Amino acid sequence: MATIATIHRGPRRRPRWRRKLTAGRALTYLLLTFFALFMIVPYLWMLSASLKPNAEIFTSTIEWLPHRLYVQNYGDAFGMAHMGTLFLNTAVVSVASVLLNLLFCSMCGFVFARLNFAGKSALFWLLMATMMVPFEVQMIPIFLIARGFPLMGGNNILGQGGTGLMNSYAGLVFPNCVTVAGIFMFRQFFLRFPHELEDASRIDGASYAGFYWRILMPNCRPVIATLALSVFLWSWNDFLWPLVIIRDMNMKTLQLGLAAFQQENSTNWGPMMAACVMITVPVIALFLSLQRYFVQNVTSSGLKG
Amino acid sequence: MAKGGPLSLAPSLKPQLGHWARLRRYLSRQEVQTAYAFLAVPMLLLFLIKIYPVAYNLYLSFTRYEMVRAPQWIGLGNYVWVFTERVNQKALVNTLLYAIGAVPTGTALALLVAVLLNRPLPGRVVYRTLYYMPVVTSAVVVSMVWRLIYNTQSGLLNSLLADIGLGPYQWLTSEQLALPSLIIVMVWGGIGYNMITYLAGLQDIPPELYEAARIDGANEWQYFRHITLPLLNPVTLFVVVNLAVSVFRNFGIVFMMTQGGPNYATTNLVWEVYTNAFSFLRFGRAAALSVVLLLIVLLISVIQFRLIQVED
Repeated sequence: MATIATIHRGPRRRPRWRRKLTAGRALTYLLLTFFALFMIVPYLWMLSASLKPNAEIFTSTIEWLPHRLYVQNYGDAFGMAHMGTLFLNTAVVSVASVLLNLLFCSMCGFVFARLNFAGKSALFWLLMATMMVPFEVQMIPIFLIARGFPLMGGNNILGQGGTGLMNSYAGLVFPNCVTVAGIFMFRQFFLRFPHELEDASRIDGASYAGFYWRILMPNCRPVIATLALSVFLWSWNDFLWPLVIIRDMNMKTLQLGLAAFQQENSTNWGPMMAACVMITVPVIALFLSLQRYFVQNVTSSGLKG
Repeated sequence: MAKGGPLSLAPSLKPQLGHWARLRRYLSRQEVQTAYAFLAVPMLLLFLIKIYPVAYNLYLSFTRYEMVRAPQWIGLGNYVWVFTERVNQKALVNTLLYAIGAVPTGTALALLVAVLLNRPLPGRVVYRTLYYMPVVTSAVVVSMVWRLIYNTQSGLLNSLLADIGLGPYQWLTSEQLALPSLIIVMVWGGIGYNMITYLAGLQDIPPELYEAARIDGANEWQYFRHITLPLLNPVTLFVVVNLAVSVFRNFGIVFMMTQGGPNYATTNLVWEVYTNAFSFLRFGRAAALSVVLLLIVLLISVIQFRLIQVED
């Protein structure tokens, strides 16, 4: 795979068509713009509807611009869907998932890349194999484990009697606290780390743990950023697992709250679209400011989620 | 006794460590201690969320389990149910129809957009950003916006079509149109991700090849047909498999847009897994459905590996 730098710089050689075929170039722009419109129209329509009163959204003629900015939708959405609680819950869960992933994945990645112990490669390939298994296949057992988690949510030591990790932050984070893709990303990075630096730090008396914490971790910012982004995005947008583990309104995440909002107010499109905008803007902003790490996530690991 | 009596005792005279002593020495190495200490917590979690669930799910698929009593072994009963129940057959067929509809279109569009964007055009970063935006947008938001667009009473699409004298169509509420409507949303959402994969692949094609073709007087289409496309084969394989798996697994859009309806027209395997497990509390049956999903995904991965080997 090409490096990110080359994707950003573009091909090294300028093809001759640029000099000759202006018609071809026009066609390229025409096609690109056509597809860009297909991609962007839903966003524009969402934004437009979020600023219109309900009566104005469904008109027989299409009006892209609201007559006047109906900002009230945003306030309504915020109040009706309890967006404050939803934002807080989602932020807590996303940040916790990111931190746990960074810690656990880097520790495992370090062990698999730099240390030797009996059964290492068998363990590593077992983990790699689980990457092929869709989450939906593990979901029911994970739910049963979370529900029967000992000493949580009113459960006794055998995991009976209560609801375990249901309706809790711990339950939301549980299946996402460590990812095999993250372990793989760290391992690949640590494998390439020069052995001279390890030898030097060992001679200085550093333990393996010290080498990991003081030398390796401060030097793998790109991996940290890439993994943090992908885990954050995943937690922010995840729907199926929260749907399964959360029943309590106060513990819902943004995606769940929005889904519930749609089911309860299926015709109140203005506030609904306003809520959609509010949920989407943070991720889009994150994406725009850190684009190269998103691209890196696709190209370096080829792994999603 | 060809090796000679007394001499064969010689090796045992050397101080040999017993199993326990060897184990103690192995465990006393700092490297090993660090490895086990680092792995302890993450591996316990990975066991609970990645490894054990697969085995437990397989076990559950052979049982009747409705949460009231402990799982009862019923052999292949759930699998017989999976393949004989009309709704499940519908879900299986739909899962394949989604893939047949979304994978070729999605792959072709991602390739087209990537090839166009691989040229040094001013503004290509803007285009790339626009195409990628749906990838970072949640399925819930995507579904809600597309519901507004697909709305039968003067939704955006029907209003546009009315201008040229067509419609109104019941995009999400008619049995014929609902599935294609969802396929369009899936294609829309997948272009950006696969475009990036293709762009990375395009960067790996040596420019010398185009240079050689230019000397032979090839045109743009011949460049594409005889150099770009064949050299992108491994990338295309990856994109096709990736897209197929993500389409097979689609849940959010089905949940938010149609709930599998109308009359099961848009139901798929994952939707049936979810409803059987969490609406009807039939965990055994749901587990069997999810094992079928796993088998389909594994089959595709095996085909992918085979094709990669053929390429090499």
